[in-house]
Amino acid sequence: MAHDHDHNAPAPMVEEVSDFEALEIAVRELAIEKGLFSAEDHRRFTEFAEHIGPTPAARMVAKAWLDPEYKKHCLTDAIAASKAVGVDWLNPTGFGTPSDYTDLRVLEDTPTMHHVVVCTLCSCYPRPILGFQPEWYRTPNYRRRLVRWPRQVLAEFGLSLPAEVEIRVEDSNQKCRFIVMPVRPAGTEGWTEDQLTEIVTRDCLIGVALPKPGVTSNIPLPVHRAAKPAHH
Amino acid sequence: MSQHDRTHHAKIATGKGDPQCFKGTADGPPKFKVGDRVRIKHLPDIFYTRCQVYTRGAVGEVAVVTHESPAPEDESFGHVDHSEWFYIVRFKQRDLWPEYPEAFANDTLQTEFSERWLEAA
Repeated sequence: MAHDHDHNAPAPMVEEVSDFEALEIAVRELAIEKGLFSAEDHRRFTEFAEHIGPTPAARMVAKAWLDPEYKKHCLTDAIAASKAVGVDWLNPTGFGTPSDYTDLRVLEDTPTMHHVVVCTLCSCYPRPILGFQPEWYRTPNYRRRLVRWPRQVLAEFGLSLPAEVEIRVEDSNQKCRFIVMPVRPAGTEGWTEDQLTEIVTRDCLIGVALPKPGVTSNIPLPVHRAAKPAHH
Repeated sequence: MSQHDRTHHAKIATGKGDPQCFKGTADGPPKFKVGDRVRIKHLPDIFYTRCQVYTRGAVGEVAVVTHESPAPEDESFGHVDHSEWFYIVRFKQRDLWPEYPEAFANDTLQTEFSERWLEAA
């Protein structure tokens, strides 16, 4: 009946469900019927997975800034080094958390080289240590443009780097997962691990931002007064 | 594949992780080492691949020999009996994109390939 629907009809008051969402629900319900896991198991795992954030990775970087031995460990065996920040990639599923591959690589920036991570194929991301991807990381726009115009895309994020700094794009297209270890910024001399952890935000770990003293993900944002406030 | 065991992956990967569960399953030692110049082959990819078209034919340098795993072209159809070595290859951006500005000639890009995609350059 596609030919006679009303083109002026209001938008339907329902959520749009994609084919993949319908597929996920179907597979999940079959697995529950079969007894592979219960609906409550599924809810608990979802709650667990959605609570993972970038803090462990931020702490990993902060620790590495303070401890050269730990830094070496991160650069040679990041899966093992993750345990020091409370992330065991094999728990609770036994083979990747949440259902991710377990080969993490830490990309170390230097004063003359900056890394930035993308997955051109889909949205591969080290979820066990960073949590879920930001929406923009999954968009075709970011994926197709970052590999080809990295400086322009980084500039859109507010990061402009001089030509002397090599930009190295890491296209994460197989089983390796990546986080960026930025250079410890000036002005953080004598800081504690907790203080350093705060400035290593998610975007610094993807490589679209650099850590700065005073810039954290939980900083109070300025409130701008409306130019023409409404009076009720 | 009607008798495909859908718990196969969990059985082999539990307690080890993936790709660690495929360690030692490639036919032999890695064919390339860090620093080797390699060209990306232009193989057919009619069903599935993770080898991006923008790298086909380009020449780069092996940056890391990462691990052994079945190639995605096989694994996506459940064929996990044969593994290959994987390599992170580093390219000069100017070798990938003809219009990449000369002012940023130092810029690089790294991405990963299974051994079937590489030939010595």
